[in-house]
Amino acid sequence: MRSGDQDLHTLAGAYVLDAVSDDERVRFAAHLAGCAQCRDEVDELREAAARLGTAQAARPRPELREPTIRAAYRTRQMGPVIAEGEPARRPASWGGPRRKRATRGLVAAAAVVIAAAIGIGTHYVDMQHQPARGTAVTGVDAVLSAPDAVMRTAPVGSGGMAIVVSSRHEHMAVFIAHGLRRPPPASRYELWLMGPRGERPAGMLAIHPKGMAGPALIAGQSAGDMVGLTIEPERGSLRPTSPPVVMIGPTGP
Amino acid sequence: MTEGRWRGNAPDHARGADRQAASGLDELLLAVARGSERAYDAVYDLTSGWVLGVARKVLRDPAQSEEVMQEVMLEVWRLASRFDPARGSGISWVMTLAHRRAVDRVRSERSHTIRELRAATAVIDYDDVIEAVEASLDAQRVQRCMASLTELQRECVSLAYYSGYTYREVAELLSVPAGTVKTRMRDGLIRLRDCLGDAKGVQ
Repeated sequence: MRSGDQDLHTLAGAYVLDAVSDDERVRFAAHLAGCAQCRDEVDELREAAARLGTAQAARPRPELREPTIRAAYRTRQMGPVIAEGEPARRPASWGGPRRKRATRGLVAAAAVVIAAAIGIGTHYVDMQHQPARGTAVTGVDAVLSAPDAVMRTAPVGSGGMAIVVSSRHEHMAVFIAHGLRRPPPASRYELWLMGPRGERPAGMLAIHPKGMAGPALIAGQSAGDMVGLTIEPERGSLRPTSPPVVMIGPTGP
Repeated sequence: MTEGRWRGNAPDHARGADRQAASGLDELLLAVARGSERAYDAVYDLTSGWVLGVARKVLRDPAQSEEVMQEVMLEVWRLASRFDPARGSGISWVMTLAHRRAVDRVRSERSHTIRELRAATAVIDYDDVIEAVEASLDAQRVQRCMASLTELQRECVSLAYYSGYTYREVAELLSVPAGTVKTRMRDGLIRLRDCLGDAKGVQ
């Protein structure tokens, strides 16, 4: 199932038509992050695909208008996801020279992945932990909306892709993974903060269908901490008992 | 269709006005990102018909399509700050959300047995797509451009976009290698893009 870059490159059409598996979607989005030419192609092809959709225009029942609009007004809006060290849409008063223009595309592409992952992730939260939903989702939103949110992605050694968005301002990070292998029987994935202060457990990670995991909220990071993921006995460990399948960071202040 | 309250299906719609509405949408979305409710009302009026249309095309079920339309319109409000005009038009952004949501819904409900897929092909073909298309200028242009694709390109693009199949499923349906389908989706869309771009340039 692993594809090389060249193979991935030809996926642009299928990706734009949403004709890829979730796993391929994430891998291609990660590929986009590093390929400006591919991003341009995808942006252009999306314009064409959109026309296939608008050509089908229908007339919504007028009764739907008010409730839909009202529901929106009652919903908190997400802030922009931005590149490391660069405010997204800085107020005019900030002035100053622009930094790191090139990283914007990466974050934009990654934001797509996150939006996709969160969409599916919160869907599972909805179904399984109705009462817990509020706080978890709010925390996740807070991190993703933070003006200093930084995103990092890394392939997981045992298969899949991990994404960590962290905010120093919020003192929290959000972990999302996709395409994770099911852990061996009687074992589970465990998240860790790993850094100068040692290794501290940061929660067990449930695997949803298609290897989706998260969004998991991670708090309590300190300077130099990375987020690590290991496979542990079912009940979890206090110290990692196997080498991390992925480490991303730093996430701390 | 009578008066074009929803821009997308207005039969008497001039192309210039289409484009004006389109660039207006970009501005509106930027205002929505800053929390403007008035701008959101306008975005709803401008785009909900497109969103419902693509949902209905993919899902077929009217009730589910309305749900998806409402979900997508809520996403438009919630995620407006992610819209970046440097990366594409507002229409493209909204339709990406809409198609994605419709496809996710259809996939979560469809059990993918080959038999069902085979039965589905009997229903979903190009003629069906053409018949369903409203006779608006925009739709006519898309139709014309779709007709300029090779048959395989057209089938690949239609089955993916309008029926929500993955390229692997399309390959299975058409008995064509998956790699070929991937390629046809890409070059089909490129041709569509070029054709739509040319059509714009003519007037």
